[in-house]
Amino acid sequence: MKNNSLPTDVEPAKTDPRIKLITAKIKKENYKPDALIEILHTAQNAYGYLPMNVLKFITKALHLPPSRVYSTVTFYHFFSLKSKGEHTCLVCTGTACYVKGAQLILNEIEKQFSLKPGQVSADNKLGVSVARCIGACGLAPAVVLDEEVHAKVSSEEIVNSINAKIAV
Amino acid sequence: MPKISVTIDDKKLDVDVGKTILEVCKENGIEILTMCHLKGLTDVGACRLCLVEIEGVNKLLSACTTKIAANMIIRTKTEKIKRYQRITSELFFAERNHVCSVCVANGKCDLQKLGYKTEMNHIRYPYLFPECNVDTSHPWYVLDHNRCIMCTRCVRACGEVEGAHNWNVMNRGYQVRIISDFDTPWGESVTCTSCGKCVHACPTGAIWPKAIVQGQLEKKPEIIGELVEKRKMNL
Ligand code: SF4
Ligand code: SF4
Ligand code: FES
Ligand code: FES
Repeated sequence: MKNNSLPTDVEPAKTDPRIKLITAKIKKENYKPDALIEILHTAQNAYGYLPMNVLKFITKALHLPPSRVYSTVTFYHFFSLKSKGEHTCLVCTGTACYVKGAQLILNEIEKQFSLKPGQVSADNKLGVSVARCIGACGLAPAVVLDEEVHAKVSSEEIVNSINAKIAV
Repeated sequence: MPKISVTIDDKKLDVDVGKTILEVCKENGIEILTMCHLKGLTDVGACRLCLVEIEGVNKLLSACTTKIAANMIIRTKTEKIKRYQRITSELFFAERNHVCSVCVANGKCDLQKLGYKTEMNHIRYPYLFPECNVDTSHPWYVLDHNRCIMCTRCVRACGEVEGAHNWNVMNRGYQVRIISDFDTPWGESVTCTSCGKCVHACPTGAIWPKAIVQGQLEKKPEIIGELVEKRKMNL
């Protein structure tokens, strides 16, 4: 099975709004190692799971032993290390995106693919999840399709993009 | 140092304040079974073998993490404690895959010794037979999860004494496993300094040096405590 999780050794792009969100959180917590759980929450909420390279990014920023970060992540059921589905569609349902019609997008996805947030298609081709603000509010409504941020999207556009992805 | 009086196994003793029940018992030649305790490391009360009864306290407390207090009446060898210790040692064996006859630690293993001490002639619990990895990626050492009892002595020796923090624990419940870095093969760890402290700290045949054959394992767990003492002297 193909896993669309990011390659673990590629550093996350500094321009990714989600990395900016995590960096802002780390700064707000003053780089305190004690704030690990709060920062992991921010990351999990922004990505829908915790990609390995994002974990490495956080570990480095907080100067923590890798094993402690991994231990924390695997202890709490709230955190997940894997994204489900070959292709993932993460719909932001933060306030800005919600106001700009995130629910309509989710409704359309459900209509077209019979998938609710948290579900994966029977053939494992597509997984749908939601995030609580990915840090791109100015681009609302935002959807992340396989790590590409789609800004100011309409339901039709995103359905078309998904169809293009799962066709291959 | 101010003294307090306590009673342990019907013996009256005058002891220093600030010590744990386990330390006091050791100093006075009273045997307490331990597994996760290792001199020089912070006690965590993980194995529950050192349980003692204290009059007026309605639950058993671990001697390694409980500080002694004035007028305590402590019992270390009641039938109840012996029963619990036997259960604990049976569960250690049922939880992983221990095959002593082919183990490097055979005859020199603290877990094996515990089995004899608790008179464990059979195991009353179903074996879990978990699927366990053997990590042979390190050039000198091996970690065999089949033989690990999750005492975390390796974790603490590496973190507290070596300062490398290679080891930690992942998951929960029966799925817990010792990990290096991000569950990375030991040989690819970026934090391990290959100092060998965890090898000596490990009470079973779970961590061992490669240059050893079955039953030939010599470990010196006491070097951890000695090292910590010597560092204090240098200060
Ligand atoms: S670690 Fe000890 S108990 Fe386990 S197999 Fe080896 S000798 Fe036996
Ligand atoms: S590897 Fe050895 S020292 Fe580490 S937790 Fe397992 S039994 Fe204890
Ligand atoms: S609410 Fe969607 S990016 Fe902030
Ligand atoms: S030695 Fe006290 S709980 Fe393990």
